[in-house]
Amino acid sequence: MMKDNIIQAMDRDGVTVARIRAEAILNEDQVQAFGQALLALADIPGRRVILNFLGVHHLSSLALGELIRLHKRLAESGGELCLADIDPRIWEIFAITRLDRLFRIFDREEEAVAALLGEGRAET
Amino acid sequence: MDQSPADTRDSAGWTEEVLPTRLTAIRESERKVLACLAALGYGEDHCFAVRLAFEEALINAMKHGNRMDPSRQVRLAYRISPERVEIYVADEGAGFRPDCVPDPTVDENLQRPCGRGVMLMRSYMDEVNYSANGTEVRMVKYRANPVRGFPESGRRC
Repeated sequence: MMKDNIIQAMDRDGVTVARIRAEAILNEDQVQAFGQALLALADIPGRRVILNFLGVHHLSSLALGELIRLHKRLAESGGELCLADIDPRIWEIFAITRLDRLFRIFDREEEAVAALLGEGRAET
Repeated sequence: MDQSPADTRDSAGWTEEVLPTRLTAIRESERKVLACLAALGYGEDHCFAVRLAFEEALINAMKHGNRMDPSRQVRLAYRISPERVEIYVADEGAGFRPDCVPDPTVDENLQRPCGRGVMLMRSYMDEVNYSANGTEVRMVKYRANPVRGFPESGRRC
């Protein structure tokens, strides 16, 4: 299991499940740590990442920028970013900014894992 | 550790602070605003909205207004009553035209990093008004108005 201060990532049959370990990603130092941890997830080309937001209750536009950056990096290498377990207030931020159209969002981490593993099997 | 910015409170109930252009300086002011909201019994949804708009306004002032120039300052004033929250933020930058900020929700801008802070401020506060040159913003959130998408839960922050 890989460990990071703000993100804990684990592999589940080729899908990376990354759980955010912060209540807020608002200010500069929180966003900086978040951005660095996200970029580390893009180290492996083609990686499929599920980012679990359980326990995250505050998010700023700076953090949204970091998510967009990871999404682009993963997409460029043939990978994918999915989001899951998003607090209703945070989900509203995605809806207002229409980023719910950019990101693939699942209600629960397990649903995202099942979907990505199913797609992986269908492709082989 | 950041020094707490000097703040003064006038007879009309405004608390005024002068912040250095340093993003970490926002935290202490934010803590004081949230403490005021909690003391007046504002609900979680209002606290969420004010915290987000407060953070976005100050980030915009420092990053886009003052361009992180440490020789420039940000003036902050807030007045919190049982009925409403008023926040005023002024930077020392060149200003901008809020109506010229690209719409971040259209397809061609969806992956660009600009415009979301202003959009979130407008979405979560009841009033957001800029000065003519765009260096000052005044925001108001009324307690009687629910937060977008969330009928007030009544839980305290």
